[in-house]
Parts: sequence; C-alpha cells; structure tokens
Amino acid sequence: MTLIGQPAATSGGRAVERQRPRVGVVKFASCDGCQLTILDLEDHLLALTDRFDFTEFAEATSKRSSGPFDILFVEGSISTPEQAVEIVRLRAATRTLVTIGACATAGGIQALRTASEHEAFRAAVYPSPAFVDSLAVASPISSHVTVDFELRGCPIDGHQLIELLTAVATGRRPQLPDQAVCLECKRRGYECVVVTRGEPCLGPVTQTGCGAICPGMGRGCYGCFGPREGANVDSLASWYTDGPSGPRAPVDVGRLFAGFTGASPPFRGITDRLGGRPALPLRPAMAHPPELVEGAPPTWGPQPAGEAADAHE
Amino acid sequence: MLPSPANTGVPSLPVPPPNRWRASTGDSSPRFLPLVRLDVLIAELRRERRVIGPVVQDGAIRMAEIERAAELPFGWTVSAQPGSVRLTRREAGAPGAERAFDNATAWSGIKPWTFPPRVDALSLERRDDGSVAVRVEAPAPVPTAVIGARACDLAALATQDRVLSGGPAIDPDYAIRRSDLFIVAVECAFATSVCFCTSMGTGPEVSAGADIVLAEIDGGFVARADSTAGRRVLVSLALAPASPAQLDRATGQVAATRASMPAAVQADGLHDRLLANLDHPRWDAIAERCLACANCTLVCPTCFCTGIEVGSDLDGRESKATRSWDSCFTAGYAQVAGGGSFRPQQRDRYRQWLTHKFGTWWDQFGSSGCVGCGRCIAWCPVGIDVREELSIIAAPPVSEVAVAATPTLLGQPLPILSPAIEPGSLKTDFVTVRVAEVRPETADTSTLVLTTDDAALLSARPGQFVMVALPAFAIPPISISRIRPDGLELTIRAAGPATSTLARLGPGAQLGLRGPLGRPWPIEDAFGRDVAIIAGGIGLAPLRGLLDEVLAQADRFPSIRVYLGARTPGDRLFVSEIEELTARGLDVRLTVDRAGPEWLGRVGIITELFRGAKPTGANVTAFVCGPERMMTAVVDRLTDLAVPREHIWLTLERRMECGVGLCGHCQLGKRFVCKDGPVFSVSELGEDLRREGL
Repeated sequence: MTLIGQPAATSGGRAVERQRPRVGVVKFASCDGCQLTILDLEDHLLALTDRFDFTEFAEATSKRSSGPFDILFVEGSISTPEQAVEIVRLRAATRTLVTIGACATAGGIQALRTASEHEAFRAAVYPSPAFVDSLAVASPISSHVTVDFELRGCPIDGHQLIELLTAVATGRRPQLPDQAVCLECKRRGYECVVVTRGEPCLGPVTQTGCGAICPGMGRGCYGCFGPREGANVDSLASWYTDGPSGPRAPVDVGRLFAGFTGASPPFRGITDRLGGRPALPLRPAMAHPPELVEGAPPTWGPQPAGEAADAHE
Repeated sequence: MLPSPANTGVPSLPVPPPNRWRASTGDSSPRFLPLVRLDVLIAELRRERRVIGPVVQDGAIRMAEIERAAELPFGWTVSAQPGSVRLTRREAGAPGAERAFDNATAWSGIKPWTFPPRVDALSLERRDDGSVAVRVEAPAPVPTAVIGARACDLAALATQDRVLSGGPAIDPDYAIRRSDLFIVAVECAFATSVCFCTSMGTGPEVSAGADIVLAEIDGGFVARADSTAGRRVLVSLALAPASPAQLDRATGQVAATRASMPAAVQADGLHDRLLANLDHPRWDAIAERCLACANCTLVCPTCFCTGIEVGSDLDGRESKATRSWDSCFTAGYAQVAGGGSFRPQQRDRYRQWLTHKFGTWWDQFGSSGCVGCGRCIAWCPVGIDVREELSIIAAPPVSEVAVAATPTLLGQPLPILSPAIEPGSLKTDFVTVRVAEVRPETADTSTLVLTTDDAALLSARPGQFVMVALPAFAIPPISISRIRPDGLELTIRAAGPATSTLARLGPGAQLGLRGPLGRPWPIEDAFGRDVAIIAGGIGLAPLRGLLDEVLAQADRFPSIRVYLGARTPGDRLFVSEIEELTARGLDVRLTVDRAGPEWLGRVGIITELFRGAKPTGANVTAFVCGPERMMTAVVDRLTDLAVPREHIWLTLERRMECGVGLCGHCQLGKRFVCKDGPVFSVSELGEDLRREGL
C-alpha cells in the first residue's frame, strides 16, 4: 500500500506543509444516504477535513472537481449508459477507489430486477418511459472497474469509513471484518432472535460491520451488509422454511434475501429458487399521485390468485 | 428433535454420588437460608463486591449485575432444544413458581466477567522524539460475586483457569479479573433437554470451585460453605442449621436432576475415537448444515480464542490494540501473511472445533474442553447437536454408553503435551528496542539490526521469534535471524502493510519487541552428527542464527552442508556473508527457480542439490525452513535418503497473534505452533504435517 499524505520532505528543519490527500465523494444510482452518513460524523468532520482535502462532495460543498483523486468514495450502482462511461473515467483519475453502500457494492434494490423485466418496470414506474435511458440491469461498481475497498451496508457504518481513511492515511490495512454478524451480536451480549423467538435473521450469512444494530433492537438482520465470506445460505434458508420455528412459505423466506443486497449472487440464488423478488405484473404507471391510484398496492412474489392482499406486508 | 443413537436412555451407573449435603458439627454444617433472607445474603456480598446473577432479558436468562433478589428469574422456567430456547412463567402456586433458580444455567455464563468479549490489550505511541512506547493494558480489579453459577459454569471456569493461567504464559487481563471472584453456586434442580453435564462428568452436583453452594427448596435454600471466605459470609448471616428433612430434600433433588439426564456422550475414549476419525464422511455432511457463524464458540464457556485489532489516530502516532473474542469458524482465523488460510473449508473449521473441544484439549490442557452445558446446541441457529455429531463421528461400541456417576473429570488432569508448563515463565510485556542499522537484502527484504540490553531478548536462541509492535500496525511474529551480544537481527520480507513498514524503517527508529518466544532449533540433536541446513527463500532467516552457532562449534559436527534455494538470483539473502563462508571452505550449494543468462549457477528445485552431495543416512540431522510445499518435498527426499524422521527438524508458519499459546490461532492438531514449536521434528508432527485443513 502506498503512503499518502505523509510529511514529504523537510527543509531547514521545518516540515514542508503536507499535501493533503484529495478525496472525492461521488454518486450514481442511489439515495445519498451513505453520503449523509459521512456528514453525520459530526465529531470527526473537523479532523477529517484537516487531514483530507475533500475536493468533490456534492452533498457537502459546492466546490467541484472532476479529479484526480487520491481516494474516491463511490455511492450508487450503474444504471445508465452515461454512468457506465463516467465510472471508467473516474477510475482512471483515482488512486484508491472505495465503493460505499449496498448500491455500489451489491447493486442495491434497483438491481433486483432482471434484464427481461426491464421494460415492464420502466412502464410501471414512469409515465413516459421513452424519456428514460436506463440499462437493462443495474450493477455494482465492481462489475465495471477495479475496486480497492468496499464499505458495505445500507447505509454504511461511519466508523468503518473513519477506519478506512485512517488506514489509508497511515499505510496500514483497514480492518473491515468479513465474519458473520453473529460474532458481533454475541460480543455485545444480544440474545439471538432466531433462537429465542424463532424470528428469521440473516445475521449468520451477513457480513458484520454494522454493530449488530437490528438484533440489538430485537429484530432479525435483513442483510444490508450483504453476504459474508462463505455464506451458507442454503442451510439457513431451509432451516427457516422447515425448521422448528417454521414451517414457512418458501416465498416468505425468499423475500428475506431479496433486500438491498438481494442481487448479490448468494442471496440471489435463494430468491431464484424460493421466490420473493418483486414480481410482474406491477401496478399501473404512476400517472397520478399515489393516493389516487386505484386497486391493490404493488404485489411481491409469486402468489396464488386471490391472496395478493395479505402477501403485502 | 434430532435422534441420537447414543441418546437412548441407557441408565447411569448405579453408584450413588457422594452426598455433600450431610450435617456435620459447628460452622461447616449446612444452614437454611429462608427465601426472605436471600436479600440479606446479596446485601452482605454487595458490601465489598458487585454482584452478578441471572436475570430475564429479551426472552432468555442471562447473567447481569443485580442489586436485590427480586431481579432474579423467580418463577421462570426454560425449555431448550437444538436451535431454540423458550422461557415460560410458571403459574402462581405451581411447583417452582416461587423459585429463582429452577431454570438451568444462564446463557451468557460467567465468561463475560472473567474474560470479556472485548478488552484493551495494548496502547502504542510514537512520541515527537521518535521513541516508541508500548504498554500492556491492565484492567482495574473489581471484586465480584456471582450468584447462581451452576456446576457446569464452575467446571468451565476451572477449564479456562488451566488455559489462561495454567500455561507457560499467563493472560494478565484474565488473571486480574479472576483474582477476586466469590461464587455462590446453585445445584440444578432441573435440566433442559440440551444439558449433558452427567456425560462430561461436571455436574449437576457442585463438587469444587464454589465459596457457597445453595440447594433451592421450598421456602428457601440449604446453604453450605465450601471455602473459608464462604464460611465467613454464612456465619455473618447467623442462619439456623438445616434440618435433616431439608438436607434430604437437597440431596434428593439433585439426584433426581441427575437421573433425568440420559447418557448423551460417551466421554471415555472419546479423544482417541475422534482423532481416529479425522477423515470421517460426516465432516462433509455437517459442513452442509453448519453456517460457520461462530455462535457455538462464542456461547461456549470454555472457548478462549481471541483476535487483536489495532486502531489508530489519523496520524498513526497513537494506537490501541483491542482484543476481542474470535472464532475458529472465521476465514481470517487461520490466515497467514499473503492471504492463504490453513482451514479454507467449513468442514475444516467444524472439525477443528469439535476435535479440539473433545479431543486435543486433553493433550494441551489435561481435560476435556467441554463441560456439557449444552449452550452450543441450544444457541446454534440451525440446531446442530454436538451429541449427535459425536455419536456418529466418534461412535462408541454400543454397549459402552454410560455416564459418570460423579463429577470425575475435574481435578484429575492427564499428562499434557507441553512439558514446560510453569505458569508465568513466558513474558507477555514489550521492550522498546532501537534500529541501529538497516541492511537491504533483496528488493523486498531488509535486515534490521536492533540494539537492546534486555536480558531476556539477549538470551534468545536460534529458531525463536519475537512479536514486533509499531504504532498503528498489526503485530506480526518475526523470526530472529541473528543473536548478537548487544541485540538481535530480524530479516523481514515486505508481505503486508506491517512488514512493509518494518522493512522500510531507518536507523534510529524504535519498535516494541516481545520475546523471545517459541522452541529453538535443537542444535544438541546434531552433536556428533552430519548437519544439513536446508533453506528456501526467506526460510534462511530463521536458520541463519543456527548456522552461526553450528559454525562456532564446528568441531562438534563431522560435516556441515548448507543447501539454499531462491526464486531468482536477486532473491538470495545474505549474499556476501554466504560467499565469504564459501570462500572459507563451508560446503554451500545453491539453486534458483529461474534466472537470466547472466546467472552461471544452478537452476532447479532444491532437492536437485542433493544429487551432488547427498545428506544421506542415519547420521544426518537436517534443519529445514521454507515454504510448506518445499519443506514437504525436502522431507520426502530426505526420508528416501534414510535420514531418520526424528532428526529432520522444520519450522512451521501459522497465524500467530499472541505468540504464547493464549489466542488459539496457530493450533495444529495437539499443538500450538507458537509455544510448542515453531520448530518440530517430522516424527513429532506425524501425519499432521500433510493433513489438509487441520
């Protein structure tokens, strides 16, 4: 790893003012929530801006830059032809490229659709789909360019971001564990919601880093950090369909895996098998404000006729 | 419920356990503590200590700090199955509705207080003048009393005592937290379906380790003191002696609990049966179910593995190393520099856990690592039952399934593998040393010449290693490449950020060293014998100090030969030194894997070197270090050449975070490579040398 931003040289016994690493924060198809997580690091912002030169960060400053960057944080997935070109240009202008959030690392919810569903989705969402130039699938940044580090989560964990910046600044390897959420749950002494309540939880197959927030609040993990190393999704899914807390409808278990990181291959494999992804037909185009739309709300998953309403939670 | 062939209700042996609830004379006779006076006991304990006891929280019973008896789980009972724990409240007036402890052991156990999930381990600081300070963090001792510990909890505590304070190194954090612990144990009047303490010989009777033991009966507790401190507390409560009827109830109750637990695991001979089945097909079957989520290891009251994380400020001047619970089920656990893992598959990790817990734990610590508490069964999110797995993988002859009639395994340690087990004989603190000189060796390797006057470091022997601390970086183990009168030399290849930074240090820099650690090369094994020193690549570093010693005592050896391999001519280490030794007549043979036309020497694998000058026969002692594949090829060739396996010595690489046998990462079968090695003879390693994923 290259050391950046270290005092480069001394002259006459005084340190030459160090060159602050240039940091950019850019976004593609995403909600900006990860950028807001950076801005939420209020106690650290002064230290960070003292140490790093944020030359591009549209959520924070009107000062703009198109590069070059020592570190570039990329939020969002690639959903349009322009984005597919722009990410290649940004990669060439960047030393260390870090993807942030479920959209950039796993595609996000927009990546749940398949190429064959593309037209139907466009027609369902936009009154005039002809004006929308989108790619058939939304894809993570790593499908387009080389990524140096990933910060997972929806949104990311602010402390992992600080750890990454600190590690890059000091030239060490950032400590971004690839273990299951369960380790953090147990270290924090949280009672397991699967064991005590039979509540399905994706913690055993999800990468830790969030601080086990959801189990800590008494609910199951919904996998926003995406699959961990060696995620045994088949075993977990069949325990939830057939185990002692079941039986559960396969589609209900499949839906668990169809979240923000549902496009990642291990989770996708479960929903492909069990169902649970948004299914066609979708509701009509929102030509009118939602309160004026007649009929049932959007439906999820393949359902037997006549049971559409109670499948929606 | 998962059927278990072993779990078929074979009755326990008809020998009654010794009755500890008998009246005797004076202060030591059991007393009766009326329920209404339980608060007086807690208040008495709280005068000098925090009190930890079971409470109901989020659908389970856990240990927590309490102030009064009302916080205890009165009236709650628990039903535990593989992968499931449910609490239910008994109806008012129902049996047990007035009882606090009629609900089996708390899931958290005592471990979070004696061995917390996360502790500060080190603080490291680089000051303005360039000096480096490394401080081992020590917790402030907090006198603690535990109320409601069960027999299995006490057995677990005794087991962790042997691991963390019984070995050559003592974990300073554990020793402090453990030092002032007062235990009020409760004998179980109830066992869940996952409890199997009778099989492991640890309960349900409380036989050792408590200060006060309670048996909860209607209206209160029969209480006996098992230690001087316990007697003092009971005397201060001025309780009446328990009546013969109350004593009978206490005795009968725990006997009924024992009778309610079927034989689940045949502990006798389990060690041998497990280790004979390392290739059992069941390991693959279990890997399909196992999530490798680590829950079993983190709820296990004896699991002790930890990992170190080093965090720093933005300038990398101040940093802290935090130690957290780790697990052999994670990929990073067995990873070494360069990214490879010694246990890449989930079957490897499950096998590691089960064979250690029930098998090799005996070799290392003289007891089983399992106390039969059943937590790993209940808290497995997919309900894997170790009792079932053991009955399949290490099936006993059917007729032999039986439970120990009394807690037997405690206090009867078997002989352990590591002979030098003198507690405290291994240091755990760091010494600051100075870089006097940096010698570049190759494009990615440098030798740091370090000066120190630390007597322990200067007493290092060739083959030993040190843990090297720099603020902000991971703390890698580095083998010692030369021992000098005024310091040590370390030859470091830039394999990751920490070693890259170390290899780039300049003269005057400071770093922290902990050591010397590990078993040195047994030079005495070669006295009167032909010496072959065989090194591949950076593997020459740990052999260089040995070569120094061998040459210093050259007349003890009929012949000395050195065989060196390197990837390319540019990757050769200590080139001028080796050339000088060759000029002085030392037999050095050298080969490289590949070279350009300017290289006039030999090209090929290292065993080709044996053609010209064979290290042949029963009189050779070989010292070998290099990549694992190179070492196994060398061992094969040497064995073909009739070099005895007990005279072929290797040094192994594994992940090491503590270097003293406390963190678990470097385990290889019965050994911790850091403290039992890293130098081993091929005969000591046996089949473990080549077994994949061990």
